[in-house]
Amino acid sequence: MAHRHARNLAVDTLDGPHQAVRRAQLELVADRVAPLALAREQTLPVHGALTSLFPGGALRRGVVVGVGGVGATSLALAVAAGPSAAGSWTAFVGGTDIGLAAAGEHGVVLERLLVVDPEPSAWPSAVAALIGAVDMIVISPRHRLRETDARRIGSRLRERGSVLVSIGSQWPVGADVQLDVVESRWCGIGIGHGVLQSRKVTIAGGGRGAAAQPRSLDVLLPGPGGAPHPVATVD
Amino acid sequence: MIAPVRTLVAWCPDWPLVATGVPLDEPSVVVFANRVIAASPGARAHGVVRGLRRRMAQARCPELSIHDRDEAKEARLFEPVVAVLDDITPRVEVTRPGTCALVSRGPSRYFGGDDAVADLARARMAEVVGGRTDVRIGVADGPFAAELAARGAAPIRVLPPGTTAEFLAPMNIDLLDRPDLTGVLRRLGITTLGAFAQLPANDVLARFGREGQGAHRLASGLEERLPDARRPPADWSVSAEIDPPADRIDRVAFVARSIADELHRRLGRDGVTCVRVGIRAETEHGEELIRFWRHEGMLSDAAVADRVRWQLDGWLNGSAVTRPSGGITSIALVPDELIAATGRQLGFWGGETEVDQRAMRVAARLQGQLGTETVLVPEFRGSRHAHEQLTLIPAVTVELAGRSLDPGEETAPWPGSLPAPSPTRLLLDPVVVEVLDESGAVIEVTGRGLLSAPPARLIVKGQRKVVSGWSGPWPIDERWWDVEAQCRQARLQLVTADGRALLVVLEAGVWRVTARWD
Repeated sequence: MAHRHARNLAVDTLDGPHQAVRRAQLELVADRVAPLALAREQTLPVHGALTSLFPGGALRRGVVVGVGGVGATSLALAVAAGPSAAGSWTAFVGGTDIGLAAAGEHGVVLERLLVVDPEPSAWPSAVAALIGAVDMIVISPRHRLRETDARRIGSRLRERGSVLVSIGSQWPVGADVQLDVVESRWCGIGIGHGVLQSRKVTIAGGGRGAAAQPRSLDVLLPGPGGAPHPVATVD
Repeated sequence: MIAPVRTLVAWCPDWPLVATGVPLDEPSVVVFANRVIAASPGARAHGVVRGLRRRMAQARCPELSIHDRDEAKEARLFEPVVAVLDDITPRVEVTRPGTCALVSRGPSRYFGGDDAVADLARARMAEVVGGRTDVRIGVADGPFAAELAARGAAPIRVLPPGTTAEFLAPMNIDLLDRPDLTGVLRRLGITTLGAFAQLPANDVLARFGREGQGAHRLASGLEERLPDARRPPADWSVSAEIDPPADRIDRVAFVARSIADELHRRLGRDGVTCVRVGIRAETEHGEELIRFWRHEGMLSDAAVADRVRWQLDGWLNGSAVTRPSGGITSIALVPDELIAATGRQLGFWGGETEVDQRAMRVAARLQGQLGTETVLVPEFRGSRHAHEQLTLIPAVTVELAGRSLDPGEETAPWPGSLPAPSPTRLLLDPVVVEVLDESGAVIEVTGRGLLSAPPARLIVKGQRKVVSGWSGPWPIDERWWDVEAQCRQARLQLVTADGRALLVVLEAGVWRVTARWD
């Protein structure tokens, strides 16, 4: 019933005399027929300084996030920090060289972190086992992932609702949300004085579906102390 | 006071191991969530007992073979063993795979006494078990005492009516399997069930609540819960027709899951919950199989679906004699023992949550799949290098639940450590580089901790990079008193023109990149 009603309204809105009123009515009906479990409930939280990089301001469950550029590791940790702080577990697959102190400074809760270091041949099965059991999976492969494995992992993610963050090399079948650090400049260090304090980066976003719209963000990553920080409030 | 129901419990020792199919005299264990849940006699001879961590068990017995728990297989293999009791009584209750119970009053009248029933049950079960393990039978007032009698039986033990309290009195209080309660009782000096039973029931209820009251009743040889006068009305059972008849288990389990949901809704509406549920399956030719399943907590819909799967798996894939001749046409769930639902409180702050349990299960699974040294967790250790204050250790060596990495006040400050942000990538294999000044000479650090000239270029694997910012050097002179362990270093933070930041360390005249900020 409600659907038919909505369609009728939509048809004669085009050249009706009271367009604004009818549009308001249409919105009301659309609101009424919307599913009860909204897509925004199937999301994980994102760190406040990074929300504009994600469509809807939150991390949709079941997506692959690709991060690249100089500073990709930092960005991956910052993305993982949001859900981790909210109680999710994080798993690094292959990232035994990721600085744990840095992970902690970025906001990843180390008590809820697993680091798995499988042989290249055991990678797909290890990632598949983690999907559904931990919410955030950060991978940093040193070998090429096969396209078939990537597809299988992608469909399992959509089914089980975990999020995979792939550092560095391009996700073979194209990431749902792709974030690249295109420019970075360190602050706090001079020539022979100071110390590394924070890094001002420009992140370019792309991806598929709702994330396809190009977007860009300037942010301090790492900010003072490690966690990402909006640029304006520091300057 | 109403005496508990005479109950016969049949127990097959080491059933989880029998299900794996390994001979029991070899040292082998079954682990679940990284804990030993069953150890073979061969393993027990080496001191491997239930509750040990996997790594501890391996330390005590290096040639131990380790198997993961497969509850579905345990239940499937147990079904034919239980099926032989169907001729004795129609109401056999599977407490868990390996242990089953039946109310012995009716059968013992028919067969002429508890001893006769116990002999008959043991003979029939032993035939099916076929020497894979023993069958022990205990008969007592109430299932708790009967199970303890079965565990101590050789191989049959029948306690005369009314002697249950006497039998339980010298037993260890830990047998109640309520660690929180027995911990307190132990500190009060109460170590046996008899001593606990002597406490006044009203005081136990006042101090320890419903749970304490239940434990006290068990220790006194009574039923755990006061018998509820309410009989479950017939319409609390839920059933579903399956059309066309299903010959595959997963279809039946799927239907069972949805009716389990319905059952919980109905029970929940009336504020009750069931601790025992009967699962009745019927085939198109009128064959029927009913089993009762008990659960300590509340049976969730997933748990009910699991039990349906186990029960039917054993039936449909059983021997030709007991296997049904047609597909399954209907399935029903019959709530049997009802208690008032008091609710279960999960941890609010801290404690174990569902999320933690899932992560711990996957950690245990990956350890089995990939080896224990590939699944790691962070651990704190001191170091003068901020980024080395945390290290990775195998997850098997720690308890994952409720960990805290905060070193607390135990650690003193580490002078000379660099402030945050810490480098995001540590080079496991430090790369040798050349740090050069404007004129191309290699930079040195003087004995007083000063650079010979400002760094201007960096050569990494043959590539020249321009240094756009630098800071340091921060010298470290560790253990200068020890010729072998001493470590004398100078550290520099370098930023190259392409925006990369590196930590370079000079030691013994060689510059190396040890970490970078990616």
